[in-house]
Amino acid sequence: MDNKAIAEKIREVAARLLSQGQVDCVIGYRQGSVPMRERPFFAYTPEEAAQLTWTSFCCNNLANYLIRRQFGEAGKVAVVAQGCVSRSIVGLIKENQITREQVFVIGVPSPGMVDRRKVQATVGADKLITAVNEEGEELVVSGPGFEERIPRHTVLRDNCYTCQQRNPVIVDELIGEEGPPTHGGDIDAVAAPWEKLDPEARWAAFVDNYQACIRCYACRDACPLCYCHVCFVDETMPQWCGKTQDEADVLTYHLLRAFHCAGRCTDCGACESACPVGIKVRRLTSKIEKDIRAMYGYTPGMDLESTPPMSVYRPDDPQDFIK
Amino acid sequence: MFARRRFAVLKNLLEYVGIEPDRLHFSWISSAEAEKFQKTATEVCEKVAALGPAKHLIKNIRKVA
Amino acid sequence: MAENSEWRPRIAAFLCNWCSYGAADLAGVSRLQYPPLIQTIRIPCTGRMSPKFILQAFRKGVDGVWVSG
Repeated sequence: MDNKAIAEKIREVAARLLSQGQVDCVIGYRQGSVPMRERPFFAYTPEEAAQLTWTSFCCNNLANYLIRRQFGEAGKVAVVAQGCVSRSIVGLIKENQITREQVFVIGVPSPGMVDRRKVQATVGADKLITAVNEEGEELVVSGPGFEERIPRHTVLRDNCYTCQQRNPVIVDELIGEEGPPTHGGDIDAVAAPWEKLDPEARWAAFVDNYQACIRCYACRDACPLCYCHVCFVDETMPQWCGKTQDEADVLTYHLLRAFHCAGRCTDCGACESACPVGIKVRRLTSKIEKDIRAMYGYTPGMDLESTPPMSVYRPDDPQDFIK
Repeated sequence: MFARRRFAVLKNLLEYVGIEPDRLHFSWISSAEAEKFQKTATEVCEKVAALGPAKHLIKNIRKVA
Repeated sequence: MAENSEWRPRIAAFLCNWCSYGAADLAGVSRLQYPPLIQTIRIPCTGRMSPKFILQAFRKGVDGVWVSG
């Protein structure tokens, strides 16, 4: 099934759920006002469901919109979820933010989403892209005076290359066929690229990666794990993290943000896609998840039963670093 | 014990970004182990002294303003 | 090296009330000598320890952090 057929099916399912009154709302994607920026969309009526779409640019994590949601009469919302989004939903259920009954998962095996920056880089940074059409496994990128065909798999987002779970882990209605679970990339090989550098070079790479940060908190707001009522960056008494773009403040923010995602991050890449200055935000979170896989053998959001790794312990946990 | 998992993850993370491992120390010392406390305190001080002044993550107000 | 002889590290020590803080107390009454460079912060339990504390200590310019439970 290609993306256009999936989009058609999503609209059909959404219209049916809404007209039968099974759900209050269907959370999906609709076309953005510029190409390659599909945006979250909330369909409340069967007519609105016609605006839903499914393309290679559905980069937001829709589980984010389940948090602190006001439920209507049906007490249930439907969410279009690919593998990573369904894992985030599992995480939210485990952390008691929602219940399984409140969410209807429209599962879509993910074809891998495309990084708009890679597309722009492929056609040239000076070209204005006015339309992107999908024809099977090719993207037809066009603008004033040019048209280029790009194979989809060359411009996937970094996290999609190393996806470990393309198929949704919880499903109420599946659209399309389940494919192989991974995209073939080895996450452990690329999760921590700075590991092979020496400490000084690691620090330099770390500073360099984050120095463009403008502290807009788009990465935090796009993340379905960040649902604290008061975030640590907004706390002022005591102030854990200054609000300036000073190196120490920026790095403290990113270190703590990454740490808060420890054992919870499903590597959906929403933070990286949301970043307006193109920072590789996943550098720290993917390293932490790699450590957690290695030390505690845990991958977040894969099932509803297991206990999150940071809220349990085993007597034989590694402790060589403690004197 | 829960703290142990947090510390393990944090220590790995800070080493990953290039903070010297010897700047951050963890130990278990019971309230009866005064000698171990003395030994560890001395060791921590020596190791940190060997590294010299900290360079990273320091907030310098004058630089910002 | 002349500079180094002046410089003394500052170390923030986060000590658990029930374990290491007691040990520090016992070391004191036992007259055991240890370097005067550590600044003790008592925490109610090592479980109280948060990464925020460690980063905050570094931000405020300590040269080392020691967490002991």
